[in-house]
Amino acid sequence: MPTIVDIAVTNDAFQTLVTAVKVAGLVDALASSGPFTVFAPHDPAFAKLPPGTITSLVQNPPQLARILKFHVVAGRYTRDELRHCSQLTSLEGTSVDLYDDGQTFEVNNATVLAADVMADNGVIHVIDTVILMRPHWFAGIMAAGRTDP
Amino acid sequence: MIEPILPPSTHEFADIIHRLESGGAMLPDTPENLMQIIGLYKAYAVPMDFYWRDLLYIAEQVFLDPLPAFKYFLPEEYLELPNHYAGDQADLRIWRGGATAHPELRQFMEKGELRRSLPKLAHHLWHDRINMEFAEECMRAMLWHRNMGGQLDAYLDSEEYRHNADRAIRAYFQFNPVMLAFYKIFPDMFLEQCRQSTMTSVLGLFWEIMAPVFFEMSDLYDEGKLTSVPEAMNFLVNGIFAIAGRPIYHRVRIRGTWYDIVPHSKGFTWLYEAAFPYVEAVFYRTSPFRGTKSYNAQAKQIPADQNDFHYGVLYADKFPVGSAGIPPTLLHQDMFHFLPPYLTEYYRQHCRGEDDMLIQLAISFQRSMYCVTSAVIQAGRAALLYPLDDPNPRHRLANRAYFEGQLNRFCRREYGMHQAARLKAIQSQTYR
Repeated sequence: MPTIVDIAVTNDAFQTLVTAVKVAGLVDALASSGPFTVFAPHDPAFAKLPPGTITSLVQNPPQLARILKFHVVAGRYTRDELRHCSQLTSLEGTSVDLYDDGQTFEVNNATVLAADVMADNGVIHVIDTVILMRPHWFAGIMAAGRTDP
Repeated sequence: MIEPILPPSTHEFADIIHRLESGGAMLPDTPENLMQIIGLYKAYAVPMDFYWRDLLYIAEQVFLDPLPAFKYFLPEEYLELPNHYAGDQADLRIWRGGATAHPELRQFMEKGELRRSLPKLAHHLWHDRINMEFAEECMRAMLWHRNMGGQLDAYLDSEEYRHNADRAIRAYFQFNPVMLAFYKIFPDMFLEQCRQSTMTSVLGLFWEIMAPVFFEMSDLYDEGKLTSVPEAMNFLVNGIFAIAGRPIYHRVRIRGTWYDIVPHSKGFTWLYEAAFPYVEAVFYRTSPFRGTKSYNAQAKQIPADQNDFHYGVLYADKFPVGSAGIPPTLLHQDMFHFLPPYLTEYYRQHCRGEDDMLIQLAISFQRSMYCVTSAVIQAGRAALLYPLDDPNPRHRLANRAYFEGQLNRFCRREYGMHQAARLKAIQSQTYR
């Protein structure tokens, strides 16, 4: 079975992600035995970022690597296994929030477009938005809002 | 035009919630507001061009000097230091102007308010200079209010940081046995000074970006290309995204050798380790007034939880004291020197004209910071939640909870926070 990196490289929808992973020096890590769960933004997800965002990240590989690590979780988790899980800790260190109502599967503010792409060293869930770390005070702000999200 | 799909908000500031939901700012969109905030951005950017340069100089070269009497005497090297976001060689060109110190800044440094070329020391002692005390007060606020977001805070307590600091401290005092002896007796005191130096670098790197952002906004306004408050806010939102990944680091130059205390390779970023903590610590919290007004902590007039501090610019009563402590009034004095002519003329026509211009500009500054805070709120919404026109009602509800949660910070009754907050006041032009 191909690795996570093999799948990304051979799929035209992940050109930006593959470039970013190469620049950040994470190819070897993602080709290792893992296993990993990768929330992989497809090209249109990167295109949604305001101009300049990618440029400044590509200029700074450690910072880019940190954002990419936020999209990776240690362990192989299929959608079914995550159905009753509301949070996972990313390799970056910050938690990602999960939501699944049976129809929609979401990771932070991204919607999973294709779940359970199986790889030799893990599983890929394709997402429609680049996710960014939520600071610790974010949950407090949301809780203080009067409308339950 | 964003179609509302939710029932109206019942929040105390429902009008402002609806404005945020339709892509607006906390500050009403009027030409008068736009003129004030842009004018103040320009007036702020010039001293800020000095602040960031001097903060980096202090963090990188003054470092732990026990008697830093000349830390505000910025060497030419730092005036020539190219801004990474302006000039032809910029990493990402935000301002079309030059990368070295702004011409108006150099002019002011030469002759000051006295308009006479005196020795630097004379200008300094007469306080006819850029008031770095304000910048250092902001840095201290960030140091005191730790854990405001990002991972730098935890790193400051790590073994790795302690090791890096130790290496730099020993090198810095290599030929000073007295200070080395003190370091041996009081290692934690030196470490805390090093943390302060790190925070000085963080703030310098943060403001290095804000200065060209504000200069560019001023130029766009002068060219008629920024025509509304939401446009100004969106320029800031796009700027925040564009530079979100800028590295935050701290390095010290000791006898020609650079020592990394917080290396680039840690992956710390402008948005998470500088911008979010800055807004939380400086715009909202800072520290209680000193000198001009007294509080009784035993009578619970000061929050027991430091998180509930509310002495930042968004809550400041500009008339009696400027804001928390004296330094913000020093900032007002700094901005006063660089007001665009249209704003000077505007202030002459209101209140007491020239006599209370500092108060008037301080209130315009407050409006401009409500606009910046709106940009941070909208950038946070865009980065962490959903588009304003998202068709999914559950997503729109999440956005609303976020906006309401943010505005609740101006409604809390504890310690009279709702009375201190100026959100209601800035809705009207009679507040000046």
